[in-house]
Amino acid sequence: MNNLNEVWSKRFTHYMNEVQKYMRFVFTGHLAIVLVFVIGAVGYQYSEWLKVVNASFPAEWIIALIIGFILAFSRPVTLLREPDQVYLLPLESKMSLYFKKALTWTFWSQIGLVSIVYIVAIPLLNTVTELSSAQIWTVLIIIILLKYLNVQIEFHYRYANRGHNIGVDKITRAVLSILTVQSILTARFSFVILFIVLLLIYDWALVRRVKEQPIPYEHFVKLEQNRMMGFYRFANYFTDVPHLRGSIRRRSWLNFVYSIVPYSQKSTQNYLVYRTFIRTDDHFYLWVRLTAISSIVVLLVNIPIVTWIVVAALSFATTIQLKYALLSSGDFRMDRLYPVVKSQRKQAVQKVLRLFMVIQAIIVTLCAVGQPLFFVLAIILIVISEVTFMMTKDPSEDN
Amino acid sequence: MTLLQLTEVTGGYTRKPVIKDLTFSIGQGELVGLIGLNGAGKSTTIKHIIGTLLPQNGEIRLNGVTLNEDMEKYRSSFSYIPETPVLYDELTLKEHLELTAMAYGIDQHTLKSRSEDLLKEFRMERRLNWFPSHFSKGMRQKVMIMCAFLVNPPLYIIDEPFVGLDPLGIQSLLDQMDDKKKDGASILMSTHILSTAEKHCDRIILLHEGRVRAQGTMNDLRKAFNMPNATLDDLYIAMTKEQDHE
Repeated sequence: MNNLNEVWSKRFTHYMNEVQKYMRFVFTGHLAIVLVFVIGAVGYQYSEWLKVVNASFPAEWIIALIIGFILAFSRPVTLLREPDQVYLLPLESKMSLYFKKALTWTFWSQIGLVSIVYIVAIPLLNTVTELSSAQIWTVLIIIILLKYLNVQIEFHYRYANRGHNIGVDKITRAVLSILTVQSILTARFSFVILFIVLLLIYDWALVRRVKEQPIPYEHFVKLEQNRMMGFYRFANYFTDVPHLRGSIRRRSWLNFVYSIVPYSQKSTQNYLVYRTFIRTDDHFYLWVRLTAISSIVVLLVNIPIVTWIVVAALSFATTIQLKYALLSSGDFRMDRLYPVVKSQRKQAVQKVLRLFMVIQAIIVTLCAVGQPLFFVLAIILIVISEVTFMMTKDPSEDN
Repeated sequence: MTLLQLTEVTGGYTRKPVIKDLTFSIGQGELVGLIGLNGAGKSTTIKHIIGTLLPQNGEIRLNGVTLNEDMEKYRSSFSYIPETPVLYDELTLKEHLELTAMAYGIDQHTLKSRSEDLLKEFRMERRLNWFPSHFSKGMRQKVMIMCAFLVNPPLYIIDEPFVGLDPLGIQSLLDQMDDKKKDGASILMSTHILSTAEKHCDRIILLHEGRVRAQGTMNDLRKAFNMPNATLDDLYIAMTKEQDHE
């Protein structure tokens, strides 16, 4: 019995360490700064909007919809691993203890998001509805209860059906959760009880099927792998996650770009780097994302000095991250053996980056047309990018 | 004429050497087999020859130059087929061939004619625009082989070439090797498939604990082990027993 407790707590410690290790980089990264700006701006807009919002605004339905959808996403965090299907097999009958711990963690780790969304909505409820504050906090308690039910049901559904047609289950729970929240916001308590009872019956039906089945290790392991992969991908935007292979897409609509590389021994690395940059999701989307953020900020903010700082920061971030991503030499690649000078790689990376930073500059400048001194943005962006490339160290020279 | 000459090469990954005082050479048009137990130093030897590891001592001379003297000449003088295929996930088969041709300064016309032949030989014509993620292990190995033969260098370095290839693939590879040999190219091949090595290699180098235990033709080796009429399998096992006695 103690064994499984230990297994869980060991896994949990390891998992938390891993998450903390990477979250550090996320919160010190450039996106965190952008996020602070965005939250500030959105918060300000929201408070301004509350002053003028019409009393006929359908707040109950909208809040119910948003909360209901968030509740429907209650993926269990089991921390199961591939070898478990072999090593934990003899403990099948005792595994419920392990899953209980896993579901407790799933519930507590996911309660935050839905609570915050609801709490953010409270000022709106105060403005457009006549709910008393006691009622408003009762709703929060019901939402927490709903979260608990959603976590239990999703786990039991996945267990009983090995994850097949999980969409049907999600829609069912989303609809019931939305109706429950809507009913309580409009103080129709008999409906609240009805919908919760329906959810309980649904869960009970699933639990009966769970008892007849062996643990679907394969499904849960796959779910865990996808979840961790998603986390590492996310973390990889901020720091270098070792052994993370980005996915590849052909993006054939960009094929015309390759024609600027002539066929010659001198262009070997150009040939390679253009394709690596355009086809590797991690690299390409990094550029797309930072260009988009830069453009949106420029579109929304009309204070030149602020846009200059943001555009410069994002130009720096784009350049340095792509330089590192394209130049660092981890695994053995065949081009290390090619009879071409080593500096060709760096020159090729510089060329590709220059082209895409000019494109970033054009997009950002177009978003700023009409603002005073808008052309300064392009100059800042290009200069910062060039200086960043020149002044930072070359990661391929480490070894 | 000697194409590749290793003189008292000592080296490894850390300060503790894996290979010690290796001396051997490969002449023009020779197919030499590098044979040894797991951990005997075959792959380490190959890594020193291709230049991803640098010797702590001794000298490796290929086509008359060391890597330091003339990097371009040294590297254009060989092509390498690694034990596990190393491909670019983001390049199609066609682009792998094109990139390799560009890197080795092969003109487009030659690229076209050579790759047509190779694609046909290895039955990969219809996969030209595929990405490696859709290839099986054997197909990945074939991409590596095609890239290596596309270059047409004086020396081929092939690490465990037969693992993962289907029988037709193995035959195609052996045919290619024979063709290149006839044209005067040399081949250094490390393998565990001893019957094939015995049948095809002109000379064999037996590595044992990082040193050359014996080298020469099959007859030379039989003499060295004092086992007339022995097959390479017999000699290999004899070497293993020798190790057990130590």
